[in-house]
Amino acid sequence: MAYVATRGGERAIEQAERLFRAEMGTITPERINEIKAAMPYLVDRVMGEASLYDEDIAALALAQTGGELYEAVLVLRAWRTTQPRLSVAEPIDQDALFTHRRLSAAFKDIPGGQLLGPTLDYSHRLLATQVLTGEAFDPVPVDPAATPAPAHQPSVSAWQAANDLVDLPDDDTTRPDDIPDITREPLLFPSKRAHTLQSLARGETGGVLALGYAAMRGYGQAHPTVNELRLAEAEIVVTHPKGTKFSAGRVKVSQAEVLSKKGEKLELGFAATLGWNEVKVIAAATLDLNSAGAPKGAATEEEFFLYHTEGVESSGFCIHFKLPHYVTFQSSLDAMRDAKARSAQQKETAQ
Amino acid sequence: MSLKTLTRDWEPMSYGFLDASAKRELRRKMLKAVAVPGCQMPYASREVPMARGWGTGGLQVSLTLINPKTCVKVIDQGADDSVNAASIRSFLAKVSGAPTTLDTLKADLIQSRHRIPEEVLREDQVLVLQVPNPEPLRSVQPNMSIARQMHADADYGRMWLQLYEQIVRSGRIMQGASYPSMVNGRHVMTPSPIPRWDVPKLNMAKHLTILSAGREKRIFAVPPFTRVEPLVFDDVPYKVEDHANLTCYRSGVRGLFMNEIPQEDGSSTHEVSDSEYGVKVIRRADGDDTVLGKTWYENGEMSS
Repeated sequence: MAYVATRGGERAIEQAERLFRAEMGTITPERINEIKAAMPYLVDRVMGEASLYDEDIAALALAQTGGELYEAVLVLRAWRTTQPRLSVAEPIDQDALFTHRRLSAAFKDIPGGQLLGPTLDYSHRLLATQVLTGEAFDPVPVDPAATPAPAHQPSVSAWQAANDLVDLPDDDTTRPDDIPDITREPLLFPSKRAHTLQSLARGETGGVLALGYAAMRGYGQAHPTVNELRLAEAEIVVTHPKGTKFSAGRVKVSQAEVLSKKGEKLELGFAATLGWNEVKVIAAATLDLNSAGAPKGAATEEEFFLYHTEGVESSGFCIHFKLPHYVTFQSSLDAMRDAKARSAQQKETAQ
Repeated sequence: MSLKTLTRDWEPMSYGFLDASAKRELRRKMLKAVAVPGCQMPYASREVPMARGWGTGGLQVSLTLINPKTCVKVIDQGADDSVNAASIRSFLAKVSGAPTTLDTLKADLIQSRHRIPEEVLREDQVLVLQVPNPEPLRSVQPNMSIARQMHADADYGRMWLQLYEQIVRSGRIMQGASYPSMVNGRHVMTPSPIPRWDVPKLNMAKHLTILSAGREKRIFAVPPFTRVEPLVFDDVPYKVEDHANLTCYRSGVRGLFMNEIPQEDGSSTHEVSDSEYGVKVIRRADGDDTVLGKTWYENGEMSS
């Protein structure tokens, strides 16, 4: 069938979609549950990029798109944007996080302790190929610690501030309903602090990493030291219309604080996101650390990295080049041919 | 009295997909855009169930303007049946219940990518153009915040310089589509990637044109009877594509914008880009009672 058929477009797109969906087959509630159980980090990643915390809906999006991550995030964002904002939750203090994993590269030990938690960091990255020949892979059970680590940990930068090593930003006293919301307002520059952090939180992991890595390799001024990395669960406390505050449940969050020295003080970069995604928050915090005073057009300039790490926009624009562009192409050809004819004519006259 | 009698039943989707707050913002930004012709107004630009870069800006405008009686036409590159136009048209119809048409004369709302139909639009019609890049200064200033300041200062020197350099280097202005144009004597805008052929159709037009870039979150407008002047030097006249003498091999139409179709023998044949206009001409030749509207171009010349 032709790309632009005389009257075939509607049938063509319908059949093309069927062809895609046929490969995935029937989507059942069991499949959604299996995705949630088997791939929590993938679910976390799309929840973060979609800025929508709902494991069932995220797993459904993954199932529906066959794991095409950009499509999964788009379908979640498009759903999210139509939902009413019922309430703005209470601010979450670091000390109140239920912390599963928390470490600092700045000190050997920190108040509250280094807490490894779940990680593949020190695992040997070997494939369990026996599974392919019919032998199940059963993870070795965890030996519980004699004394469990405390669930709540103080912040490292609070200790640094107490020792006059860092100036912490002033408490943000904006009323909850007045917090600028990137999903309901355009991003303009210089960007509002809330917009910057929200954009990084929903940034595309690969994009944030690419630009963050560029900054780490030397295209940024500041070398990041991970002051504190946390994977935690946060209590979402909302206010009932009657005035009672109650917990609507917990969400998984990641946050990273990186620092570098600036004169006599330390300078902080920060990022947080929904779900557990360490690479993204470390890279994003590095971009945040480097953004102050970055020259226009540098990879570490806010306008540059916030625009270019927006995954729904960048992936959509990238694939739009598949659309027919023959009118614009024709228009360019016309200018080219005319310029060529002119220069040929000029050469003729000169001879 | 129960809560149920006071509220509407839950529905999975608002009328026209966008929720009321998104539509309200768009209405306000459209009014602003009409009030300052050619000036880019930032808007939140919600996600819609289509990928960015695929007409999401135009779609948000159409979804806001549409009602069950709006007759909608959607084209891409001039063709109603282009795959993405078909997708947008079916989505608009599905979420609004609005009737659709292929005939420019019957449409109340026309959403288009890269073309303005060849038949003259009326006062009661609205043209929505999809815009990939709303910033005419992008080629001389990629930074959006600096470009915004340049518009505020009407600082278009670099734009003029770029056009001048093209004349010096190539003997003519090399801009293909998206020809930068001065609106109402104040703001330079991109008319979206329509060919140069279509830009004069915007000048003092009877219809309202809304241009919307979903990915870049900018909306701007050309209200009816507004000057839209391509940036040209006094001694180098504006030049549209050299299509005045081409003939459509299907319909026999002459003097309209054409698609070039390469042939195996190395030559080219042409078909009229406004596909439905071509279809109407063929139908009329077959004896159908088809109404052809007045076209902006007559015998290959823009008729004023």
